[in-house]
Amino acid sequence: MDVDNPGETEARQTLVPAANAPRSNVGHPREARGDDIALEIKDLTIDFASVDGRVRILNGVSLTAKKGEVVGIVGESGSGKTTLGMAILGLLDSPPANIVSGSVTFEGRDLLRLKSSEMEKIHGTGINMVFQEPLDSLNPVYTVETQIGEALKVQRKRQDPPMTQETEEETKKQITDLLRNLCIDKPEEVLERYPHELSGGMRQRVAISISIVEKPRLMISDEPTTGLDAYVQSRILGMFSAQRKAGETLLYITHDLTIASQICDRIYIMYAGRVMEAGETRGVLQKPLHPYTSTLVASVPQGYEDAPPLSVQLGEPPDLRNLPGGCKFNPRCPHVKDVCKETEPKLEKISTERFAACWRVDKELGRFS
Amino acid sequence: MGDLVKVENLTVAFRSKRREGLFRSGPSLKALDDVSLAIGENETFGLTGETGSGKSTLAKVLVGLYRPTSGTVRVLGREIDYKRRKDITFLRQNVGIVFQDPVRSLNPSLTVKEVISEALIASKSIPKKDYDERINFITKLVGVTKDLLPRRPRELSGGQRQRISLARALVVPKRLLVLDEPTSALDVSIQAQVLNTLKKLKSELNMSYLFITHDINVIKYVSHRLGVLFYGRLVEIGDTRTVDTEPKHPYTQSLISHVLTLKKVGLQETVVSEHRPAPTGCRYRIVCPAAFERCAAVPNWVDLGGGHLVSCFLYDHPSQKENRAVLPTVAASGGGLQGLPREPS
Repeated sequence: MDVDNPGETEARQTLVPAANAPRSNVGHPREARGDDIALEIKDLTIDFASVDGRVRILNGVSLTAKKGEVVGIVGESGSGKTTLGMAILGLLDSPPANIVSGSVTFEGRDLLRLKSSEMEKIHGTGINMVFQEPLDSLNPVYTVETQIGEALKVQRKRQDPPMTQETEEETKKQITDLLRNLCIDKPEEVLERYPHELSGGMRQRVAISISIVEKPRLMISDEPTTGLDAYVQSRILGMFSAQRKAGETLLYITHDLTIASQICDRIYIMYAGRVMEAGETRGVLQKPLHPYTSTLVASVPQGYEDAPPLSVQLGEPPDLRNLPGGCKFNPRCPHVKDVCKETEPKLEKISTERFAACWRVDKELGRFS
Repeated sequence: MGDLVKVENLTVAFRSKRREGLFRSGPSLKALDDVSLAIGENETFGLTGETGSGKSTLAKVLVGLYRPTSGTVRVLGREIDYKRRKDITFLRQNVGIVFQDPVRSLNPSLTVKEVISEALIASKSIPKKDYDERINFITKLVGVTKDLLPRRPRELSGGQRQRISLARALVVPKRLLVLDEPTSALDVSIQAQVLNTLKKLKSELNMSYLFITHDINVIKYVSHRLGVLFYGRLVEIGDTRTVDTEPKHPYTQSLISHVLTLKKVGLQETVVSEHRPAPTGCRYRIVCPAAFERCAAVPNWVDLGGGHLVSCFLYDHPSQKENRAVLPTVAASGGGLQGLPREPS
């Protein structure tokens, strides 16, 4: 893993920005757009009622996203990534979900305390979400045209003052152009089709285009490229990068570090419903502080057949019904100490924009020790 | 390395479902078209390509789930006649398979032990009294602990299920194991563990792998040799390191330039058009930036030395071999399919 090689890492750090110079503006939109906060989650704790009693899915999660920023939420299955996205949108049914504490502030309002009628006005054009499985979010009995057209109509109606609705032909032309921009061949034919007639990659692009036409201020995307091949993945990531340029804030949920490294400005590493480490993407991935982040980075296959085995500790993802005491990662952690088994570390600020929850991270030195 | 499996000119065509009146109409779809490859003993052959390129079709032919339309498949020198029950049995005794989806490939009503012993019962290879010993041996090898044996698949995690699929495939010893996207449904850390197990197993059980995945990072890490499929046709075969560092076919070059790695931080803003295969000749020529008149015919295989073969006219200059070095490669001219004129639709 290249992270183990400080010489190489440094060389790359100086090389990469030069090679990507024209893009540096895209990579750091905060400097260009100021520090206004689009979304602030504070100490969010959510329980689910299950047959085995209450299960804590999220435990004291705090997160901020600045305007125009792409924030990655990275973790394994069951780490609470999707629940977090659903909680922001108010899509969790209660029961079984129960919001124990915390707040989700979007544009100065706490979303958790809004009435459902007020929340409805935010859905779509304020915040929307692209789900992992587009078949679940597309309506099977309407054509692509109807579904994108509907989103477009809502978007126009909610403008201030409301835009006059365009004629059917103009709408159709707009949708066709949009699909063509997404590299969909023969968009006129695709418009007439139903979701089941499309391939996985096309469906996902249709689902994303529904989100895009609504021009949301915050877009949450939950593993939109999982299981899709490299080409479709590049196309979809390219679309997100265009959205970012348009000033949209994006929460990108994924378990794939390689994707997160491509599009996220900052990432939050989640484990067992907690944030383990947070910071600027490059820093977190190239010099991980938390052993869990190191494990994730070391899990990405590198090199060829003769490369040494990937250095991953055996062990299954945590069982939320039966979590260990102390640090929740301690059973899988190679650097475990007694204190890790007794008390749970808090997420602490290590340096500017860098946070980690680990007893072994030295706050003064700002590194793992 | 002797050839364990040899596939020659394999074509698999599916008939179109569209009907006009009483009869099936429309052309048949060639999922695999004239594919030849050989897998040696103790070798991992990686097969990659996009969704719909025919990767899984090849996997299914090798375990007898699909019949070839034409072409031959040889396993341990024996040509398989897909109409003979005996040959299919022979095939399945020597070739095992692990599928992508660990949920759908395990019978939900059987316990883990039953799932694994089913394979033993079907093979009739060892007496019943030795079942336990064999199951213990294989489960230990793939990393399934004993306490999982009485459980049912739904009680297990994705990584555990995939290990059980592995145990089921290997409980009767196999010469070739076909792995069809075995880790795409798994989390990265679990994927890493399964990949480590696979590498360890191969050396201990003395067998070959056909590893199929669209994830280039994974395939590079596991395979000795690599084959790239584009809409049913192999376009390039060679040593993994060579194909990765010096891809020759424009499609391979484009594919490799789109691989995301942790080293490439920041998004590559390439524009990729939808891939449409050409109905005749080189299938890639519609989107190929280097296409010229000759591409209307099916390209020959060009041997670039060291077992590196490419099916592309760019390298097919038998009279002037030295010219190859100066031919423009896509990677050198900016990579990908940027700035290509799109075909009117």
